[in-house]
Amino acid sequence: MLRKSLFASEKLRQSLVRVLVRNSTRSSSTATSLDAGTQKEVRHHENHASEWWNQNGTMGALHALNEIRVPFIRDGIVSRGTVKPGYVNTTKVLLGQHILEVGCGGGLLTEQLARLGAQVTGIDLGEKLIEAARDHLKCSSPELASKVMYKMEPVDQHAKANCESYDAVIVSEVLEHVDDKVALLEASVRTLKPGGSIFITTLNKTIPSWFGGVILSEYVLNLVPKGTHHWDKMISPLDVQRILDTMNCQTVLVNGSTYDFWNNTWRWINNTQMCYALQAVKQPLSESN
Amino acid sequence: MLGVLRIQGAVASAGQARLLSARLLASKSSTDMTANARCESTNSPATEHFDIIIGGGGLVGTTLAAALAKNTTLADKRVLLLEGAPEFRGFDPSGPYQNRVSAINQNSIELFKSIDAWSHIESARYKPVKQMQVWESNTDALIQFQHDNFASDVACIIENDLILDAVYARVKEAPNVEILNKARVECVRLPRDSSSNLSELQLQDGRSFSCDLLIGADGANSVVRKEMNVDVFSLNYDRMGLVATLELGEDACDNSVAWQRFLPNGPVALLPLTDRLSSLVWSTTNEQAKKLQALPPAEFVDALNEAFCRQYPRVELADKAVQALNSLFGHNASQHQVQYPPRVCGVKDKSRATFPLGFLHASSYVCNGAALVGDAAHRVHPLAGQGVNLGFSDVRYLVESLAAGAYAGFKLGDKQHLIKYERKCLAKNVPIMLGVHGLHTLYSTQFSPVVLLRSLGLQLTQNMPPIKNLFMRGAMGQ
Repeated sequence: MLRKSLFASEKLRQSLVRVLVRNSTRSSSTATSLDAGTQKEVRHHENHASEWWNQNGTMGALHALNEIRVPFIRDGIVSRGTVKPGYVNTTKVLLGQHILEVGCGGGLLTEQLARLGAQVTGIDLGEKLIEAARDHLKCSSPELASKVMYKMEPVDQHAKANCESYDAVIVSEVLEHVDDKVALLEASVRTLKPGGSIFITTLNKTIPSWFGGVILSEYVLNLVPKGTHHWDKMISPLDVQRILDTMNCQTVLVNGSTYDFWNNTWRWINNTQMCYALQAVKQPLSESN
Repeated sequence: MLGVLRIQGAVASAGQARLLSARLLASKSSTDMTANARCESTNSPATEHFDIIIGGGGLVGTTLAAALAKNTTLADKRVLLLEGAPEFRGFDPSGPYQNRVSAINQNSIELFKSIDAWSHIESARYKPVKQMQVWESNTDALIQFQHDNFASDVACIIENDLILDAVYARVKEAPNVEILNKARVECVRLPRDSSSNLSELQLQDGRSFSCDLLIGADGANSVVRKEMNVDVFSLNYDRMGLVATLELGEDACDNSVAWQRFLPNGPVALLPLTDRLSSLVWSTTNEQAKKLQALPPAEFVDALNEAFCRQYPRVELADKAVQALNSLFGHNASQHQVQYPPRVCGVKDKSRATFPLGFLHASSYVCNGAALVGDAAHRVHPLAGQGVNLGFSDVRYLVESLAAGAYAGFKLGDKQHLIKYERKCLAKNVPIMLGVHGLHTLYSTQFSPVVLLRSLGLQLTQNMPPIKNLFMRGAMGQ
């Protein structure tokens, strides 16, 4: 099992190298230069760009997810001891924290973290998504708008200019849409300051999560647009942990969560069979590769 | 887009710059344009922005303002309390007792303690109730509520104005809360979707305000609720509550029992105020209430004493059943003798007043940009003394939810988060409201089978401590 996953990650690593090489050969990144799988994913999400901020629409579950993922990230950052004690329990708890959100979509999570005082950069590959995010930001107070920046660029490109510059990196509900998870995580970790945290939330790769997250929510209950999730792109927390281990990131917390569709609520559960949230800390002694 | 247009007094120039940028940006999409137009047509340039506006400075609204100010997470939010009446004239603890009083349960006392208002009340005057006796007119069924050995109070009887005085004192200390008196709301505009994010309201004097969250604490005829467009279930009981301050005779002892007797027309209750004074809440038909209010004092006192002591036609079968039940539990008749309240010997001048009774429940307490508390969301019969306590429990839940939401980065008016407040409230309020309404219905009849069943039910509850404690805990808000 271990060998298999090591092998798998080795394969992923090779593809990472390929991606990096390809990236370095082009001057600017556009959606057209992305591989077909990623393009398809981006287009799928762009189709729902206008729906993004509608709480009662197909993004309802994503809105509801903020109820648990924001506290998870907030408390994860607080637990690192970089938050001034006076800020804890106030609405400026994340003041001074620089956060990168990879795959920010319409900016649901981005704005909410900024409202806690953090300086948040959201990047996404979908042009329409970034547009939707920027449009929504315009309706917000200037104070909030000054704390959020959206960019349409791939994370590896962002990492080049922003090496070790963030206190936290968030990859929320993104990993299940990405083929090359190692490349994404590697670039994400590169933007992280030593001692900073990477927060990941995604679906587990289990029968219950496939049944609940794909069959039930996409085909039976129509909670999520069809074709949002795919079995072969889902990943277990252990695999994420192994990949992060190779990048000198120590996983400090894995919490299982599940979604109650009948009252549109997420809650923590004591297993990771459905979904999970993971926090890993980049170790100060970085062995660069 | 509404957000871009708001102008906060001192930063007017920045606001103008934003207005300009908003116009430039408005060409981007048509939806923005409409939002813009809607906003401009209603916004006078003097719109002042607050984070939270509380519509209604009654007991619940003012307590909410104090609780918001006290919360550390919400301490940086600017709060505006709007009250239609002129400035509160204060409370004189040495003055005559007032006729509007509330039976405050332990849960509400905890709330007052948490906002430092309890010491204010304690140092003024209040009357703890050690025991409650409820009995009826058609049988001998009776129930008594007390803690073991009277160890703690069942409830406290406090004058409404004293509560208001205590919470106003806290609100006035709070640097982030402003109070606006004589503020009558002309119209309210709520964000219809999650993209426009401000609630606006205009006063009759032309001033207008915007806020992230508008809280309707404006009573049973709530303007905010009307704008929220929620379904309301309401019943008019065609009954009135008559209140008065009463003087008691020598037999009052320490007067620490609250008495309530269900009469055919409705319950009559005596709530202790001091050793020699009690407050009356008499629910009865509209005609009788008007008549009682107009009676000369001496006749009124007679009518009252009669109400508590008069033997009504008995339902014999029910009486027998209650006796049988008591003997089944091994009690003899003497243990279950009805105790009678002290004799009333006078009524304070001009203390008699009436108010209509009804039942009301809003189908939803929240929407984007607004929430309801207290009587705006629910109104019950005063027979169990629950009305204002439910309002205070709303306050606790709302402040808890808002603090948790703000600490998780939610906008104050985000329905996504406010819905949690609603769920907690509904879970607590609906059973109590149904219970109170059920009691009212049950005791509004003299139909023998119903009398039989309610008497047996009451007696069974009296004889079975676990059930009794369940009701008691419910009524005390624990």
